[in-house]
Amino acid sequence: MADEQRSTSFQRLSSDSTVSTGSDDSYEYYQTDIYEQLPSTLTKRRWQQVEQTYEVGSCEYDLLPPSIDRDPHQPLNMLPLCMQEKRNLRDRRHQERLRIGFWASWRQSQQIARRRLREQVGRFFSGLLPWKHTLHKIEGRFGVGVKAYFVFLRYLICLNLLNCAIITGFVLVPSLYHKSWEDYKSDNKSILHIFLGSGFLEGSPLFYGFYQKIPLFFHTGMGTILFLSLIMIVRRMVVGYKHMWLMGKHFSLNVSYKVFYGWDFCIQDPQAASLEHSFIRNELKMDLEEQRFRQKVSERSMKQWACLYFLRGILNFVVVVLLCGSFTLIYYAIISAEKKESFHWTVKLLMNYLPPITITVVNFLLPHVFSRISMFEDYFLTTQLNLTLVRSIFLKLGTLAIYIIFITIQNNTCAENEFGKEMYKLTIFQLLACFCNTFLIVYLKRLLAEKYPSSKLARMIGIQEFVIPLNVLDLVYSQTVTWVGVFYCPLLPGISTIKLLAIFYMKKFTVMRCCVPAQRLFRTSSSAVLFHFMLLLGLIMSFVTIGVNSIRSDAGCGPLGNDTMYSVMDKFVKTLPISAQTTISYITSEAFIFALILAEIIILTSFVSHGRANRKTIERLKDMLVMCSSDKRYLVKQHSTWLRQRYRSSETEALGK
Amino acid sequence: MGNKQTIFTDEQEPYCSLLCRLHGRFHELAPHLVPMDYTDDPDVKIPLTLIVNMPELKENPFRNRIVESFSEDGLGNLSFNDFVDMFSVLSEMAPRELKAIYAFKIYDFNVDNYICKEDLEKTLNKLTKEELTPEEVNLVCEKAIEEADLDGDSKLSFADFENMISRAPDFLRYRTLVTEIIDMWSQA
Repeated sequence: MADEQRSTSFQRLSSDSTVSTGSDDSYEYYQTDIYEQLPSTLTKRRWQQVEQTYEVGSCEYDLLPPSIDRDPHQPLNMLPLCMQEKRNLRDRRHQERLRIGFWASWRQSQQIARRRLREQVGRFFSGLLPWKHTLHKIEGRFGVGVKAYFVFLRYLICLNLLNCAIITGFVLVPSLYHKSWEDYKSDNKSILHIFLGSGFLEGSPLFYGFYQKIPLFFHTGMGTILFLSLIMIVRRMVVGYKHMWLMGKHFSLNVSYKVFYGWDFCIQDPQAASLEHSFIRNELKMDLEEQRFRQKVSERSMKQWACLYFLRGILNFVVVVLLCGSFTLIYYAIISAEKKESFHWTVKLLMNYLPPITITVVNFLLPHVFSRISMFEDYFLTTQLNLTLVRSIFLKLGTLAIYIIFITIQNNTCAENEFGKEMYKLTIFQLLACFCNTFLIVYLKRLLAEKYPSSKLARMIGIQEFVIPLNVLDLVYSQTVTWVGVFYCPLLPGISTIKLLAIFYMKKFTVMRCCVPAQRLFRTSSSAVLFHFMLLLGLIMSFVTIGVNSIRSDAGCGPLGNDTMYSVMDKFVKTLPISAQTTISYITSEAFIFALILAEIIILTSFVSHGRANRKTIERLKDMLVMCSSDKRYLVKQHSTWLRQRYRSSETEALGK
Repeated sequence: MGNKQTIFTDEQEPYCSLLCRLHGRFHELAPHLVPMDYTDDPDVKIPLTLIVNMPELKENPFRNRIVESFSEDGLGNLSFNDFVDMFSVLSEMAPRELKAIYAFKIYDFNVDNYICKEDLEKTLNKLTKEELTPEEVNLVCEKAIEEADLDGDSKLSFADFENMISRAPDFLRYRTLVTEIIDMWSQA
């Protein structure tokens, strides 16, 4: 609504002016005498002069535009002056520093040293990031969206590496220290056991059952990982959401952004340059399309709306049916996988892997079906994409949830180990699936298209583009599986890191060798929030799983042994000194928690109302700015008209005389 | 390497190699014009036509405007100081405000401190290599001005431009010509 208000005031402006709003008029306005004398014009003029005086010496520091901070300690590289001016300014600052006292100059130099240290540390960390050159090459050939995918992949690798380091420190090292090596039975080691997680791997550090005597370390380590991941994800999500909010709802339609920031100045390759030109052109054409589409939507009749809603209802029903169908399929796969009788080892392997295979196949096929369905629903392109993403997220999290529920329902000895095994199998299978997809499907399609370009099959398959949203969703899903499984299979982050590294190189191969650059540049802003939200949901799911499983605690295997978590914590608290015990009992009492919740509610309310008040102020200031500017124009015009009249009347008087 | 130490004070020693590299690039653009020895601070300027053939600038549609906005005469003839200025502003280390100021100058084709509709049309044509129809160009320019203009004069002043930039998260990334760190002024 604020947008409409602004546009109406803008229209009012152009219709209100007393003379025609052609370019002649504004030419006149900017040439009038009084305009030259206005303070705002004078400041701009002086600033221009400073830039162009090249003669050494006497430039005045006061002539900078008032918007530049007059902080005398502002770093010189931030000032918009030419080199010569900066040198003079630096010399003057040196002289000033000699004049002020010892304490003040020491403080200044400490400030500068701290600032420089911060910059150097930042530079050091950004220099540590690997694969810079690869990412730069990918960006040049395929655009920013594909690069964003690889940046996200790198971020996940770092996250998993960090988790792995924490687990090694908190969990692995203490348990290896406590564990007596005579208990470790090494059975027949075969490849089958690696895939199934059974046999020699069963008692290994891979699974929950290994960590017997270290309940506190174990739970602290896991808790640290999960909370650290939570903080990192929330921070990323908030930053992305803030950007989206600042840019307004329809950011992808923000044409000025595309015009002014569309060109990447790093491009040096003529091919990349022509690609960028066609990107920008297509983006702008697509924006104009969407505008025309909006026009069409606003002109739809009642009957058309009714038909459309009916169609959308049917399609949503189809989606729900597909989802339920996939859930039932997975249920049957789990049921039939329970019959793990010892057939031939290949059949046994297949039966064990039946649920992961079903899940992966379903997760691979259905999102493409969803994106086809959404094409018929007649929405804007971005809405279509987001709808497909929401449905795919629902599918993936739903299948995972059903899988987890059915595993927990089965009664096993040491259910945690079984759970860990299932998550481990899921991870391994994802890696295999990616490998098969890259080399057996995508690469073969590309070879076919290259060798027999005119065959009917090749034309049916079409050229391949790297579909960014679905790939990002895969990454997010694999990270969810890692989080859900980390409690029961503590080495899962390490395995996940290796898997992600392999996926990085496989996807790099796919992109560089088998795909062509997409015609439409994928703007990640609106979908990024969805991806982070799915990550958050995955993390919440892992919290819930751990909570539920620890309530129905089983006998005997793992760090807790025969105690519950609560009794372990109790024992630990009793070993602390008395003052710490009383503090902990205060903190965990109901009164304190109630007071804490109340305080949080009050703080949140104050922030929300502050934000609302600020938004209203911004709107009011915008309107004020438009009004003041039109007042200024009116006054300048009146003044120059009046001057001209006076001049003419004095001329006629002089002639008359 | 020559006697270029007279330009630098002791604090700038670490940046000596960077400046020498830049001087090398400057020299190879016009070997017959640029002396290797800058001790007496000669007044040598390289014309626009030679500078826009640098590999960093060759594919940039705004290369002429970039060079013009860093030259003191506004015609694109750069002295060595201007050259270093240009690379300094367009490097990774330059702050956002500085890049915004120069970006505004680059898009202001008629150098009147406002980006008017004609400036926008020229920008758009350079961006899309003139492959949009005039009607589409007109629509896009009108929409851009409508979105960014705050004070309602159907032109973009620097304040409007800066306000638009503050809302863009990755403005900095798109204005980096070189990834070397040219940060000579961190001393003061």
